[in-house]
Amino acid sequence: MKAVFISFDLAHYDNIVKILDRTSNRGFTAWENIQGRGSKTGEPHYGSHAWPGSNGAIMSMVNDERVASLLRELKKLDELRPALGLRAFVMNVEDCI
Amino acid sequence: MSLYSTAVKKPILTALCFLAIVVFGLFSLTRLSVDLYPDIETNQVMVITAYQGASAADIETNVSKVMENTLNSVSNLKHIKSSSKENISVVTLEFEYGTDITEATNDIRDKLDQVSNYLPDEVSSPIIFKFGTDDIPIVILSVTANESMSALYKILDDKVVNPLNRISGVGTVSLSGIPKRQIYVYCDPNKLEAYNLGIETISSIIAAENRNVPGGNIDMGSNTFSLRVQGEFSDARELADIVVGSYNGGNIYLRDVARIDDRTEERAQEAYITNTSTRGERFVGKSGGIIIIQKQSGANSVSISNKVLEKMPELQATLPSDVDLGVIVNTSTSIENTINSLIETILVTFIVVLFVVLFFLGRWRATFIVMLTIPISLIASFIYLMASGNTLNIISLSSLSIAIGMVVDDAIVVLENVTNHIEKGSEPKQAAIHGTNEVAISVIASTLTMLAVFLPLTMVPGMAGIMFRQLGWIVSIIMIVSTIGALTLIPMLCSQLLRLNPTKGKIYDLLFSPIEKGLDKLDYFYAKVLSWTVVNRMKTIILSLGIFFSSLFLLKIIPTEFFPTMDGGRIGVTLEFPMGTRMEIARDLALKIMDEFNEKYPEINAASFTAGQADTDNTFASIQSNGSHIVSWNINLSSVGDRERGLEEICDLMRKDLEKYPEIKKSKVLAGGGASMGGQTSVDVEIIGYDFDQTNAVAKMLTDKISNVKGIASINNTREEYAPEYQVDFDREKLALHGLNMTTVASYLRNRINGSTSSYYREDGDEYDITVRYAPQFRQSIEDLENIIVYNNQGKGIRIRDLGKVVEKMSPPTIERKNRERILTLNAYLGPGGVLGDVAAEIQQILADADIPSTVSTNISGSFEDQQDTFRDLGLLGALIILLVFIVLAAQFESLTDPFIIMFSLPFAFTGVFIGLALTNTPLGVMSMIGIIMLFGIVVKNGIVLIDYTILNRERGMAIKQAVVDAGRSRLRPVLMTTLTTVLGMIPMAVGLGEGSEMWKSMGMTVAWGLAFSTLITLVLIPTLYTTFAKNGLVRRRKAFSRSLKKQNNNI
Repeated sequence: MKAVFISFDLAHYDNIVKILDRTSNRGFTAWENIQGRGSKTGEPHYGSHAWPGSNGAIMSMVNDERVASLLRELKKLDELRPALGLRAFVMNVEDCI
Repeated sequence: MSLYSTAVKKPILTALCFLAIVVFGLFSLTRLSVDLYPDIETNQVMVITAYQGASAADIETNVSKVMENTLNSVSNLKHIKSSSKENISVVTLEFEYGTDITEATNDIRDKLDQVSNYLPDEVSSPIIFKFGTDDIPIVILSVTANESMSALYKILDDKVVNPLNRISGVGTVSLSGIPKRQIYVYCDPNKLEAYNLGIETISSIIAAENRNVPGGNIDMGSNTFSLRVQGEFSDARELADIVVGSYNGGNIYLRDVARIDDRTEERAQEAYITNTSTRGERFVGKSGGIIIIQKQSGANSVSISNKVLEKMPELQATLPSDVDLGVIVNTSTSIENTINSLIETILVTFIVVLFVVLFFLGRWRATFIVMLTIPISLIASFIYLMASGNTLNIISLSSLSIAIGMVVDDAIVVLENVTNHIEKGSEPKQAAIHGTNEVAISVIASTLTMLAVFLPLTMVPGMAGIMFRQLGWIVSIIMIVSTIGALTLIPMLCSQLLRLNPTKGKIYDLLFSPIEKGLDKLDYFYAKVLSWTVVNRMKTIILSLGIFFSSLFLLKIIPTEFFPTMDGGRIGVTLEFPMGTRMEIARDLALKIMDEFNEKYPEINAASFTAGQADTDNTFASIQSNGSHIVSWNINLSSVGDRERGLEEICDLMRKDLEKYPEIKKSKVLAGGGASMGGQTSVDVEIIGYDFDQTNAVAKMLTDKISNVKGIASINNTREEYAPEYQVDFDREKLALHGLNMTTVASYLRNRINGSTSSYYREDGDEYDITVRYAPQFRQSIEDLENIIVYNNQGKGIRIRDLGKVVEKMSPPTIERKNRERILTLNAYLGPGGVLGDVAAEIQQILADADIPSTVSTNISGSFEDQQDTFRDLGLLGALIILLVFIVLAAQFESLTDPFIIMFSLPFAFTGVFIGLALTNTPLGVMSMIGIIMLFGIVVKNGIVLIDYTILNRERGMAIKQAVVDAGRSRLRPVLMTTLTTVLGMIPMAVGLGEGSEMWKSMGMTVAWGLAFSTLITLVLIPTLYTTFAKNGLVRRRKAFSRSLKKQNNNI
């Protein structure tokens, strides 16, 4: 099992939930209206006057075999709307209950 | 969940909410009545008290003074004026505008109760009279007749007045200039003397003979009958057969001593008409009368006038063939013309704004979304109008026209930002929510600045306040609705209608590519200009200040005014002949002039004049000056669009024409028919002093001097000339010798000359006076008066000549007082080219230089006083509004420097206004002042947009200059777009050609010029100033930082 952390422009929210559904990943935890900025070109999303726009983040525990397809779908979405910003990071899950 | 996300997520709810507003608004629209002006309650209350037989001086001491002393304590009183003339005292109380007149009237009533004990016994109870906009006649009809003239009153009363009264909404219908029937018993004094009879005896005999007396009930068998004596005359001729006495055993019949004349009133006001009858026949100066129709208060003027006009052919059919009805004044046509021209203005404005939006956005759907806010917010204001009981009138419709250009601003800002988001790749729904979220605060802030301007307008005191209360409320409500719409409906529509990558057709490319290219070039050019100015800051600032200060010199050549004279197509003319001129002579000359005017001025639609003394029971006429030597005209011109010459021009030509007649002592030609609003402007000089001779002398001297002032058309002295009159000076000793007293002989005199009305002749349900008096040929000379016989208690006849002397004297016919002092007013009316401010200044100089006795004081009032009052009020209001706008801005930017920089666009609004007014030669009046006040809220908007984005750029880490130039380039389009919608939206109003457009012309001109010029300067100056201030701030912070560093180092 892998933990996939997806950080994105809040505008992507509905689409990402759809992708999770499509790739048969039911469980996720989501944060809405959070701040962040990209490491290279990503514009800050501070929800402030100067940097309007907010980020969202979704953490989903994904079975190993589904990780690749999920990332593929997410990449496709990111390329469709490059200006919005969407990143996903995969981590190992040590244990769970 | 925020407002806009709810709106976007529930499109049906949002759409239906606005649909409900529209439906309710349209429903309100169907219920709104149409009128020319908002319902203006008068600020004047008149108290009219009659004291039969008292002279002007008696009235002044016994009635007017007593009244003034008591009524002076009524609260909110501005001025108290009185005019005392023979038999009547009119005390006018002028209240501060906005005073609750109903309450004031109650106060007055209470005071009158207190005063009643101090008035002479014979004084009739005072009448309280208010004159509001509801009392203005809505239709004035003319009637002309030949043979039927003598019976006209009765014919009209039955066949016209009653049917018109039955129309719902019609208040009162009154007849003027049509003599009533009266039965005169003309006695021959010689015959009376021969039979030892007096007028009193005959009068009481007639009264005694002409009675119906119920005699009680009588039981006869099984029935009860009532008993009656029917003594009333059934025919006027029966009068002749009454026995009035006996002489030498024979009966003396009334016919033996008198002639019974069943005729019209002897001394009545006569009216002459020039008009086109309903049958299409044109007649000039034909005798007839006037029917005045007033509406019930709150009724719809237009619909009632139309109903009256619809009824006219029907009424005409019932009248004898020589009686013709015609329309002199029909307010509904002028209201309809004015309202239609305003509606046209609104539509033109809408189309202009539509094209501006389309030009900049280049997309039909986006344009549609933005334009949708206009009808929704405008329609919402109808709900307010209905709820507050207002009407559709000049003010409310003009407010709509003013608002159109501004309501789209919020929608444009929201739409622009949402489009940006969509172009970045957001789904329309998400884009709508986020895009709105980002600009919501600045949209609300810019609406708040507008409210900071328009809400205080609802609190303006005075005359202007009444006019602008509606403007303030309507624009405020429209702004609020449009902001709510911009935050809910616009994002919802964006999410539904806008597409991510709209396909662009060939037509689009063909049409909008060049526009797009042009706009890009403009952006580039502007960025270049900015890059230069931010480097050459001092030059830019000095140049701008130079422009501002040099524009102040324009103030010298800009004329000032109060309210523009509106071309309502009505002229009031008063001709005054030397005191004592017989009515017939005045009338004949007036008829001649009527012919001349009719030929010279084809613009005259209808005209009527009245000549002669008005009836004493005609309250309306007794307020105006009238008399056998006065002829007053009402001239109605065709509507503005149908004629080439303007009202003022025609008035001036008429004045010149009247000067040619040496017979006329004084003539007054007033544009607007003397109505208070939009009437002719005047500077009034009040001459206050008790002594008549002294004040008259001062008046004469001042009149001579003032008439030389440039721009004065005519000067009118309110003090009428001394009237010659005959007084009978009785010798009290002689009276006592014969057992007579003053009252008895005076009443003998009155009964013979004025007549004694003792009884009424009844016919067909109408009553006519039976008046007994000397036949006309026996009351024409002083000898006739001296020969009058007075009978004492012993039945002995004594001639007046044995009791006293008949002497000729002069006395002032009217004594005017203001604030409890005798006053004389010179009204200096302004002609074309007359500038109120200049004329007033010159007159002030004349007053200062003039040699005036110490017991006489002078004062300037009239339009000039009103103008000064209003300008002061508006100035104060302007200062208040600037402060409010500053507070709103400071709160939004959380800074004191940024709003200060933004406020620099204000002076250039003035520069623009001055340049505009000077170029178009438009005078600076109340309307332009209101325009300037509106500008306070409008011009700062551009500054807000620029500074807001500059700050944003700096927060994003740009350097000051870069931030300024970038902000300028990216905000240029929204600034130009909102400015152009407002400026071009004002242009239809500023060039206004329709009826009633004079009113708003200067305001439209002011806003358009002020905003256009201020925007041009703002675009360059505000970024430059910002750079300067930001640089200084930076330098200060750096110094402070280095100081603290040094401190730290020292400490170590």
